[in-house]
Amino acid sequence: MMRETRIRRVPMALSALVALGLAVVPLPAVLDAFRPDFLVLVVFYWCIESPRAGGLSLAFFSGLALDVTNGVVLGQHALALTLMGAWATNLRLRIRVFSMLSQCLVVFALLTGYQFVLFWVDGATGNPVTSFSRWLAPFIGALLWPVLVSVMDKVHER
Amino acid sequence: MVAFRSTDASGRTTGLLFRCVLYSLLALALIIVDKRYDHLGKIRRLLSVVAYPVQIAVASPFEGWHWFRDSVSTRDALRADKTKLEAELRVAQFRLQRYEALEAETQRLRALRENTASVTDRFLVGDVMNVDLDAFRERVLVDKGAGDGIYVGQAVLDSGGVFGQVARVGQLTSEVILVSDAAHAIPVQINRNGLRTVAVGTGDTNRLKLPYLPTSADVVAGDLLVTSGLGGGFPAGYPVGTIAEVKRDPAQSLADVDVKPAAALDRSRELLFVWLKPQAAELPPPPKPAPVPKK
Repeated sequence: MMRETRIRRVPMALSALVALGLAVVPLPAVLDAFRPDFLVLVVFYWCIESPRAGGLSLAFFSGLALDVTNGVVLGQHALALTLMGAWATNLRLRIRVFSMLSQCLVVFALLTGYQFVLFWVDGATGNPVTSFSRWLAPFIGALLWPVLVSVMDKVHER
Repeated sequence: MVAFRSTDASGRTTGLLFRCVLYSLLALALIIVDKRYDHLGKIRRLLSVVAYPVQIAVASPFEGWHWFRDSVSTRDALRADKTKLEAELRVAQFRLQRYEALEAETQRLRALRENTASVTDRFLVGDVMNVDLDAFRERVLVDKGAGDGIYVGQAVLDSGGVFGQVARVGQLTSEVILVSDAAHAIPVQINRNGLRTVAVGTGDTNRLKLPYLPTSADVVAGDLLVTSGLGGGFPAGYPVGTIAEVKRDPAQSLADVDVKPAAALDRSRELLFVWLKPQAAELPPPPKPAPVPKK
């Protein structure tokens, strides 16, 4: 049990960096709204998989990175990711024994909560984004969850 | 001390809750400080330097592809390009011949009216970096920053017309908000009759709106909109767009006017950052500052 806190920092940081790259890679404008929140999914994965290696710190700093690369008010994504990361950590023991379908539903709830916090901060800071397309991301993220888990498990075991 | 990593179940829950509240409060504090006060500029500038390698790493394959395509393009394609560019240059030079004279004349006339127009002083070309910012806002990242003298609010043009203005400056990069962003407004003037109004972005890259024109306003589809230079942010006389459609509902007091932006907002790769010439030094100061109309 003790080895996991040490060993998993590197794949954690690496996967977060790759996901951050995927978050800024240019897509055609039509596809941009369909971009899944890769970094958010990766953070959820680590929160569930090895919470003691600092999943919540990862969540906060990944959120901060998203704030800077997205050019929004500092702390917005950090707040949303911290709250949802904590929720994911809290649920982790139950999520592990769920079927893949139930896992996807839980991830969908987490991603919707994440978007809601973003939406709320947008509104509170006076830049409301009212288009409905932002609520697409949770659907796509939840659909992507099984793929991400299988890929990350490969990375994790290595 | 709270045991952050204690292994028993209850201790872990406490640690999680504690850290969650701690980080959430930190994030909320950041949001409030960033929104209310302007102290985070330096921190953000520093963080943007940290994010720069990621952005470069993502953009470089695309840059490489562009470079590769340029270097293997055939002689014929290059010749065709050259012919086209020469034709464009000829047209541009014809237009430019009268420019100097017209500018001097405008300055004279304006001086007569004790009025000043912002005139561009110098340009700097910046390249749009191949990274996507927030999907729901019309922003681009450009590879020139505070190190090149870019400042917040600076006007940005492309070869077609007004592109936007600088929203945020990092040390090496800056973020440009497009005229089409829903949070952007620009003072404009209809070139045909001088009617002044404000063009507001819609969040849709190919559409601006003129929300403040009465139904009786003299505006027709095809009119050219240019910057009015009021507000001092943008130089006067640069094209912003053409009127695409005017919808007049007699029941409403305001007309519904759609504008097609002049700049290639979704295609331009080179942008011009503009510095305005300080006017106060050149013209005699007016006897007293003109009262600024409140509305």
